[in-house]
Amino acid sequence: MTETVHVQHDQHGPASPPPRGLGARLRAPGFLRAAWVMPLFWAFGFGVVVFFRWLGHYDPTVDWAVITVVAFLTTLPIGFLTGIGAFDYWAYYISGRPTRPEDHSSHGATSWKDYFKVNTDHKVIGVQYLATTFFFFVAGGMMAMLVRAELARPDMQFVDTQTYNGLVSEHAALMIFLFIIPAFAGLANFAVPLMLGAPDMAFPRLNALSFWLLPVAGIMFLAAFLAPGGAFATGWTSYAPLASEQPLGQVFFNMGVQWAGASSIMTALNFLVTIITMRAPGMTFWRMPLLVWANFTTSLLVVIATPFIAGSQFFVMFDRILHTHFFTPDGGGYTLGYQHIFWFYSHPAVYIMMLPGFGIISEVIAVFSRKPIFGYRLMALSLMGILVLGFSVWAHHMFVAGLAPWLRVPMMVTSMIIAVPTGIKIFSWLATMWEGRIQLRTPMLFALGFLSMFVLGGLSGIFLASVPIDIAASDTYFIVAHIHYVLFGGSVLTIFAGVYYWFPKMTGRMYNERLGKLHFWLTFVGFNGTFFPMHWIGLQGMPRRVADYSAEFGDWNMIISVFSFLLGASTIVFFYNMITSWHRGPIAPGNPWRAMTLEWQVSSPPPVFNFDEIPQVVAGPYEYGIPGARHAILSGGHAEVHEEVKP
Amino acid sequence: MRRGSIVRITIYGVIAGALASLVAVVVPWLPTSASEEMDRITFVFWFTTVICIGIFAIVMAVIAYSILKFRAEPDDERDGPPVHGHTGLEIVWTAIPTVLVTAIAIVSAVVLAKNDDVGNNPLRIAVTAQQFAWKFEYPGPDKVTSGELVLPLNKPVKLTLHSLDVIHSFWVPQFGQKSDAVPGIETTLTITPTKLGSYSLVCTELCGLGHATMRAPVSVVSQADYEAYLKQEASGGDAPGGSNDPAAVFTSAGCGGCHTFAPAGTDAQVGPDLNQLASDAQAAGEPVEDYIRQSIVDPNAKIAAGYQAGVMPTAYAKSLTADQIDALVQYLVKGQK
Repeated sequence: MTETVHVQHDQHGPASPPPRGLGARLRAPGFLRAAWVMPLFWAFGFGVVVFFRWLGHYDPTVDWAVITVVAFLTTLPIGFLTGIGAFDYWAYYISGRPTRPEDHSSHGATSWKDYFKVNTDHKVIGVQYLATTFFFFVAGGMMAMLVRAELARPDMQFVDTQTYNGLVSEHAALMIFLFIIPAFAGLANFAVPLMLGAPDMAFPRLNALSFWLLPVAGIMFLAAFLAPGGAFATGWTSYAPLASEQPLGQVFFNMGVQWAGASSIMTALNFLVTIITMRAPGMTFWRMPLLVWANFTTSLLVVIATPFIAGSQFFVMFDRILHTHFFTPDGGGYTLGYQHIFWFYSHPAVYIMMLPGFGIISEVIAVFSRKPIFGYRLMALSLMGILVLGFSVWAHHMFVAGLAPWLRVPMMVTSMIIAVPTGIKIFSWLATMWEGRIQLRTPMLFALGFLSMFVLGGLSGIFLASVPIDIAASDTYFIVAHIHYVLFGGSVLTIFAGVYYWFPKMTGRMYNERLGKLHFWLTFVGFNGTFFPMHWIGLQGMPRRVADYSAEFGDWNMIISVFSFLLGASTIVFFYNMITSWHRGPIAPGNPWRAMTLEWQVSSPPPVFNFDEIPQVVAGPYEYGIPGARHAILSGGHAEVHEEVKP
Repeated sequence: MRRGSIVRITIYGVIAGALASLVAVVVPWLPTSASEEMDRITFVFWFTTVICIGIFAIVMAVIAYSILKFRAEPDDERDGPPVHGHTGLEIVWTAIPTVLVTAIAIVSAVVLAKNDDVGNNPLRIAVTAQQFAWKFEYPGPDKVTSGELVLPLNKPVKLTLHSLDVIHSFWVPQFGQKSDAVPGIETTLTITPTKLGSYSLVCTELCGLGHATMRAPVSVVSQADYEAYLKQEASGGDAPGGSNDPAAVFTSAGCGGCHTFAPAGTDAQVGPDLNQLASDAQAAGEPVEDYIRQSIVDPNAKIAAGYQAGVMPTAYAKSLTADQIDALVQYLVKGQK
């Protein structure tokens, strides 16, 4: 561990004065330095490509496809990260120069400008993650609105088919890689060290680098619109061999996934080390809040699975620019190989996008039902069950793909069985609510919305696990309905629940409860109106990813589009609430929800190093209903310590 | 748990189940089946639906009951009872879903085996997919090929699917069955049509910019009509609708999905306007006939101003016969003003 933060430290703001003089400002890490370092790195990439092509007599010497991949999508982003100072400490260390003593000047935030710098404070990074991911949520949402505008009537109205395919692909890529996965990472970044009683993540500099890879990936995805031939247009699945034949915009996806994936993997490693080594005294694994359990299992999934999508995207790109034949049969490649590798990541990715949400919901339901989580150990074990089973179901995405026929029934059985641990979680949440004292605050509304919608998404998943039904439903709007019930009704509602739940802790202010409830109901109605009819228009014959469709589905598509605009508008309420409440909401107390987990035992927002004194964990995190029970003792706590109640 | 609460929660469950059943019955979820395979898929679908409605009703009833019964007053700061779990209950809700999904899996596996079983003497039709058109090759001495899938009633058909370029997917909603056509490997599909009529084949795997327009007509006819169709196709090579009729080639090769061409009555604007080929050829400095031929067999050789290379499918040299290309070139030349 390179940086052990001592709890004795007093409050530090960013202490070092801003550098004076143009030369010093140009050398200081920041956007100004990035502005001149980036062209140098780009020129280096350009030079390497042109020099070696000239050396090898390749024609043409200046090949813009290769230059795009090397200079624009590889060296330029590295230049950006170097410029803003993500590598400074390591560069000093490697080159043998004296590393600057850690003055914690890059810890904590005192003004909004600190959020635009490389910051090593997990709480600042958590907020940076959330702000960035919600930016891409808006971008991806706008694209969905354009898609729905085009689909409102049959035939083509607003965009041409290539642009349409590009919008669909960008929407999915942004929502998955730049919103859901990193938004969970952001919430966990903020909450997990606090919940563990730790002063920060195990590797704060790595944490900062993980965050700054995200805008790189996001801008790369968006920049694809500027490529000749338009944005990548093969869906977020980017199936070979179409992906190696499409216009150049495709490589922006292939490379963007690398940057987003690297970010994911580094964060996951950071979480694993933090959770394993930095728990407060007394915090055994069986006393960890379920959000921590959820991020522990998610991180394992990320570390094991993400390299597979990285590989699959590299191979597809090599088929294009290096003329290899990984997936093109003409040169001996195996087309289905792509799908196997891709789904070996992308099915576990569904759980990467779901398990952190399960964790959030467990926190919210326990707190707002004022009851211990029902069957805590089985809840944690079912996460591990999903982790293991999650790697044995990938081929259910390929039932119609020409898969080896014998593989279908075993994959159907595992896909069915994985519903069991998921069911355990649902029933345990219901039992947690049973006889509780339920407070319908906004996070709880989103949790209940999640419960009901995710059940529908899970049940349509059973239909899709059944091979004969899947053969009829595959690649239709039934799939579009299913994925949105799981990822919107599941993941996105849990992200909203989490943002409302931790908003007082992050900002020190309360959000507006009325607006929160209005946001929930608009979202709930808009969501169901948008996605529920997709189930049957899909089964009746509307394929997914089509810019134009048979006129018989026109009326339903019009209804869906109207509801989707309502759904889009509902987020305006959310952003209005977040921005105005952060600015001038009522001051939040340290523990507005009377929760037991550690993050609520410190001030809102927490001190720069989280805890002034190392907390002593004495019992489980959800001991509601036991008079005087505590999860942990802080600041010389004189409360009686009760025996831990056996779960 | 008191008797009264059991009664009430049961009532909620029945209401939730009834509402869900109403949605299940009123909405036309599945297309009208037109094959034996779709009949079986319909059966599994409803078998699964019944189980799922039961689970959905239980979850909804508990949520509704909890919200109504256990909701705390705003100023009520008391906690609920410290119940940490109940091993028996946890075993029950692990075991019952396991049994239910196992039942669905068994029924599904049986149906899958039946749907894959094509019998001893199926009709074998070869399906070739390419961006953005379908081609069907019928068995028999004449080796008839056409852009329309015609199937005899009640005869099991084994389709073998190939792709010339990227992945496509064969789906006729009323037949239920679906399979990708994958370059480099052969995939198969079994269909036993049970209903006379016209249907539409749609491509369900994103295959490029013409994906949404990649459809083909499908009809189920009597055995006699099927044989008559093959005979007509075999004899009528150059006749209207025959395999060398340029208007039919234009349609079956999917040209109209991307191009405007007045004689064929198409108005798509993805690719260059085919009424303007003479001026495009002039711009390229080539005789119009050579330019058109080259643009069909090697579309990336010359790109009309304002369009991108790599967009038009490159498989036409493989998928069309020399006669068909000749006919198509003449057809397009004639269409120039």
